[in-house]
Amino acid sequence: MTADRRPQRDPRHPDEHFEPYELDASIPWPLLGIAVALGVWGAATLFDTRRHEERAQVERIEDTRLATGQAVEPGHALFEASCATCHQSNGLGIRRAVPPLAGSPFVQHGPELVANIMLRGIDGPIRVNDALYDGHMPSFASVFTDVEVAELASYVAARWGENDRVLEAAEAAELRGRVSDLGSFRGGAGVAEDTGLALGDQPPFASGTLQPVAPEISALIFEGRGGQWSCASCHGDLGQGRENTPRLAGLPADYIRKQLHDFAAGRRLNESMAVVVAELTDEEKQALGAYYSGLRVPSNARPDLGGDLERGEQLAREGDWSLTVPSCFSCHGPSGFGVAPEFPPLAAQHAAYTASQLAAWAGGQRTNSSLDLMEHISSALSAADRRSVADYLASLPPVPAGTGDTLAAQGEDR
Amino acid sequence: MVTMGLLLALSFVVSLLALAFLIWAISNKQVAPDQHDARVIFEPGDEGHVDSGETATSRPYHFDTVRSGIDAVSTRPVAVLLIAATVWLVIGSVFGLVASLKLHWPDWLSDHAALTFGRVRTLHLNLVIYGWLSQVGIAAMIWVLPRIFHTPLRAPRLPLIGAALWNAAVLLGAIAIANGWTDGEEWLEIPWQLDLVLALAGVFFMVPLIKTTLARQVHHIYVTGWYFLAGILWFPCLFVIANLPYVHSGVEEATVNWWFAHNVLGLWLTPIGVGTAYYFIPKIIGKPVFSYAVSLIGFWGLALFYSQVGIHHLIGGPVPTWVATLSVVHSVMMFIPVIAVAINQHITVGQNLWALKESLPLRFIAFGALMYTMASFQGSIEALRSVNSVTHFTHYTVGHAHLGAYAFVTITMFGAVYHMLPRMTGRVFRWPALINAHFWLVVIGFAIYFFGLSIGGWLQGLAMLDGTRPFSESVILTKPYLEARSVGGALMTLGHLVFAFNVASILLPQRVPESVRTVPAE
Repeated sequence: MTADRRPQRDPRHPDEHFEPYELDASIPWPLLGIAVALGVWGAATLFDTRRHEERAQVERIEDTRLATGQAVEPGHALFEASCATCHQSNGLGIRRAVPPLAGSPFVQHGPELVANIMLRGIDGPIRVNDALYDGHMPSFASVFTDVEVAELASYVAARWGENDRVLEAAEAAELRGRVSDLGSFRGGAGVAEDTGLALGDQPPFASGTLQPVAPEISALIFEGRGGQWSCASCHGDLGQGRENTPRLAGLPADYIRKQLHDFAAGRRLNESMAVVVAELTDEEKQALGAYYSGLRVPSNARPDLGGDLERGEQLAREGDWSLTVPSCFSCHGPSGFGVAPEFPPLAAQHAAYTASQLAAWAGGQRTNSSLDLMEHISSALSAADRRSVADYLASLPPVPAGTGDTLAAQGEDR
Repeated sequence: MVTMGLLLALSFVVSLLALAFLIWAISNKQVAPDQHDARVIFEPGDEGHVDSGETATSRPYHFDTVRSGIDAVSTRPVAVLLIAATVWLVIGSVFGLVASLKLHWPDWLSDHAALTFGRVRTLHLNLVIYGWLSQVGIAAMIWVLPRIFHTPLRAPRLPLIGAALWNAAVLLGAIAIANGWTDGEEWLEIPWQLDLVLALAGVFFMVPLIKTTLARQVHHIYVTGWYFLAGILWFPCLFVIANLPYVHSGVEEATVNWWFAHNVLGLWLTPIGVGTAYYFIPKIIGKPVFSYAVSLIGFWGLALFYSQVGIHHLIGGPVPTWVATLSVVHSVMMFIPVIAVAINQHITVGQNLWALKESLPLRFIAFGALMYTMASFQGSIEALRSVNSVTHFTHYTVGHAHLGAYAFVTITMFGAVYHMLPRMTGRVFRWPALINAHFWLVVIGFAIYFFGLSIGGWLQGLAMLDGTRPFSESVILTKPYLEARSVGGALMTLGHLVFAFNVASILLPQRVPESVRTVPAE
């Protein structure tokens, strides 16, 4: 510690005036070896970034093609991917459920009307030839670009309506601008009324969406009660949801009621919902379900998890039997539009929410699926698969189609 | 096809070749350090009539800094900077401890905005970087550079003015941060208006050191001098460019932010710590370092590779992929200079382990030098995308930052201070056992701190990556590790109080009689 304790004559003892300096030893060969090896690795790694760059270039070229309308795929592939799940590949539809395209007077009027219906959707009864259908045509406005709308409408009109007029992308864009605020057609009568076209005898439209909301329920939804915050504070004024908060608009009433029960019973774990449902009575749960099931809102979901959309489409439409995963649509209905009340619509649900629910089933935070179906399916999927399928489902159009303006009016009408 | 990858790889290879050539040229053609350089200050006639008993200066590589009056000139500015640095160290550690406690006692001290986590943590960071490390580093430079240049410090009053300005700016910056007035970027929180004062104070530190360098009496600059001079050249550039108001925005602002924040470690604190270790290790042991050529690799490798390292903090962010890749490559290339420094320093210590028993300052410095190797290896590996995807946004990163800034730089500087103080004052430490206590408090405290955060952070990263576990689980599982961090932090803070007491006890006038030739603490 001090000089006293140090052996005074220790020859090793440094003296105070010693100056640090460097010896002239040469560089040890392992150091040179490491330096050369790391140099080679570094150059190779940097050279390798060209792969990222090339991939980005391919994506840019594809984006440019789509944006400038140079995509050359015929509407056929799009039809198979998005329309045939309901209208069938042969365009004959499903008896008593989905109207046919073949021989339909709507299609025979040409690609403008087809495009118009694709963009707006139909929500209400419709007569095609001699059969009546409960119309639930979704709006594809959020799903297809103008180029795709034009291609699809031309394809459908030419193939099943024998109308050879070709709709241009610019016309589709113009149409999109014109109808963007109109919401979905109110049944077949609404189509005839709005377009002035002769479509035969159409059933009258009876609004199912403007049912009265009790003031207490409206207060729950928009203002909250006591320690419970309002539904709208997270799920939005229109029940449209956002990111990890689900879209509620258009979910079956019984499905919503069951989920509220399950939150209360601990079969779904979520700290926010646990607080909110604690004080709800059964009647209130029922009324909330009824309210949200009646909402018609355009989709604000986007595939934003970076998932592989092709893989997602494969899982949704065909499943993956190597993982013993059935297709989503086999239970949740064609195009994921839902089969009430057990199987909720998946289409247009927010990707982050869908992926997080799949993860929650796999991780045991959600245990309320019938027959443990979802627990098994979710556990079999990899994290990348969960993102892919969630992204694909988010890219689908919502059903029933939305009418934003009526909805907003209803929201303010509490 | 000419791609960015090809251009990057080519420019990388070219700069590597240029560096290799430079090192080869210097180590073979330039004058190797020799006896002549060490004796330059003494005219042939002078050498004879030095202290007859200790014929120190007549031998090569020996020089009496006391008799030449060099230490006496440096003492005043060094003492002022050391006192100020010690005060900030204690205050900064207390803020660090408070911030650590808040992570597991979230409701504690939350009534005042100034005491909330966001501000307390920021105060900790700014006070220890600008208040403690920068000032103790400049103090070491003012002490060491005149010694290795064999000439007294020039303009020795300027650092006093600089110290006054610097501390005023740090104090005002701390008050501004506590009141919520910041530039809003990590490591750059002090408002730019006050940064002007810091920059001005920096000039008052730089001018005397540069003037001393120009007036040096030796031909060969010892390796410590390269690091110190490079540090005072690099840091002002970094500081001014990163703090320019209204220039940086958006993604580019984030890039500049991390370019700066990481370079503060690599191009300011590292030169301080490595330069200090390079001087004091051979000085205390009395043996030269292993190889001049290896020290060249260490220095120029740092200079070439470090400046691009910081962007690995933005892996996965919206910066071009090649920018992040370049940063990853440079981070890994840091293995080369770090191994070089390790060879030079650890071989010298390893061949003279007896000195660790005798010298408490060497114990601090050798430990710090070892931690430089560890922190740098860890950092190079952490920059790899596969590792970074786990550790990013976790406490693991915090543990790594403290391994560099604390276990390496701060502990090295403790040793340097313990070596300098007796020579500045001509007095002994009255309670050497307290120095020993300080060492073990900070080493044990740091070990608890580091292993707690590294393990907890890694588990936290794995939990965050696992989509089947809720996010809250990744937070809750860190709690015992955060508590361990607070225990470690409390021990370190206690150690700093002991350090402050030791500094005060030797600087305050003592009544006990002193023996003239005691060399305390060794």
